[in-house]
Amino acid sequence: MPEVHLDSWLREFGPRGKEKVTADSVAHMIDELEARYPRLRFKIRDESGRLRQYVRVFVDGEDVSGTTGVATPLAGARSIDILHSIAGG
Amino acid sequence: MAKDRKLRILVGSRKGTYIIEGDARRKQWKVGPVAHAGSEIYHVVADPRHPGDLYAAVNNTFWGPAIQRSRDWGKTWKEIATPLTPNAKARKAEVAAAVGSPPKWAINNLWHIEPGLPSESNTLYLGADPHLLFRTTDLGASWEPIESINNHPDKKNWSPGAGGACLHTILLDPRDARRLYVGLSAVGTFRSEDGGETWKPTNKGVEAPFLPNKFPETGQCVHDVAADTADPDTFYRQDHGGMYVSHDRMETWKRIGKPLGDDFGFTVASPPSSPGKAYFVRLGGMARTTDEGYFQVHEWNDKTRKWRKLVSPKAFLGHFGVHREGIATDSLDPPGIYVGTTTGQLFISPDAGKTWQLIPFDFPGIHSVSIANPMAK
Repeated sequence: MPEVHLDSWLREFGPRGKEKVTADSVAHMIDELEARYPRLRFKIRDESGRLRQYVRVFVDGEDVSGTTGVATPLAGARSIDILHSIAGG
Repeated sequence: MAKDRKLRILVGSRKGTYIIEGDARRKQWKVGPVAHAGSEIYHVVADPRHPGDLYAAVNNTFWGPAIQRSRDWGKTWKEIATPLTPNAKARKAEVAAAVGSPPKWAINNLWHIEPGLPSESNTLYLGADPHLLFRTTDLGASWEPIESINNHPDKKNWSPGAGGACLHTILLDPRDARRLYVGLSAVGTFRSEDGGETWKPTNKGVEAPFLPNKFPETGQCVHDVAADTADPDTFYRQDHGGMYVSHDRMETWKRIGKPLGDDFGFTVASPPSSPGKAYFVRLGGMARTTDEGYFQVHEWNDKTRKWRKLVSPKAFLGHFGVHREGIATDSLDPPGIYVGTTTGQLFISPDAGKTWQLIPFDFPGIHSVSIANPMAK
């Protein structure tokens, strides 16, 4: 089962430590987290299901945000990091 | 419970929410700590029906929009329900069908929160981008999309303004809870006589200088509208195409800004204690700042149909920008006028524009200013 790790800002809404998930895709992993932590809803994805513009999801260290996104399969994955991207001003 | 006699200025900025406390004398001010640090706050408003309740439209670059409520005059805040768009109900199926197909619209930013009338003590309205209106009847525990606007048959022809596809103005007729007005950029104003079931465009007489047809039914870029509290049929409008007044529930508009030359701007307010007066901040249409080189507020007197400048040109030099929620008035007599700028100055006049002071604090760029008035004795 992969473990999810949120960055410090997102921990306000979700798990504070590493969290095991059973999901088979990034979309289902977010569903699973949102079911456990309702305040995460709409923080990682918007209402259309798309990853928010400045959210990055890494599966085993690879950034999938701009490639397979929420459809990324998690079979065999060990770690997922959800971070906010470097942006601002 | 003792009556709270404080007057509070509620500031929404590019980097958080500020509450500035004073009293009815409007001489001494205390700037409180920032809340929602780092988020863009498009609007903060007090709910006069529930003293102490404040609502903030919090737009975070990373985590998206959220509505936050305080029940203690801004000392603490808590996120309340975010409205679901119609698409969100089908989100799981959409995600399962997976991505690759372009996503449909979601809420981009929250723009304006309007408490309902005193007779509807748990009702609030919310305006959002893209061109969305929501209503709650349980103080924000749940939100109902107003589909007659959100899926308006003409919506495919609606364009965003420079700030986005914002529904930024919501006005309620104090005599009749079923009569509502909304303003959207760059679409114009609409009136509903049946509690939001149906809407009529109300832009007759308003010029759209950026369109081939200069006087279309919709397509005007309304920037802000204020109601005259003494005469709920009268409205003052700052449009992309100038400054206007309507005396017939927005059926027709007359341009009043031409004597000012370039009558561009974003914001207008009308004070409850001075019927027939409206305050505009004229900006240069190209620079979108006070391009004459100094801070200025223009007063429109609807009885004499004359303009008056309220600030000495020598008082505050500079090119200031003011956003659509950037001006507010209080309910005292004479009215206080409060103007926040895009460069973070907060100007205050405690006496209807006779004298002005600058709060000695540089805020982040200010999006919105509103007032929580002192409770009645």
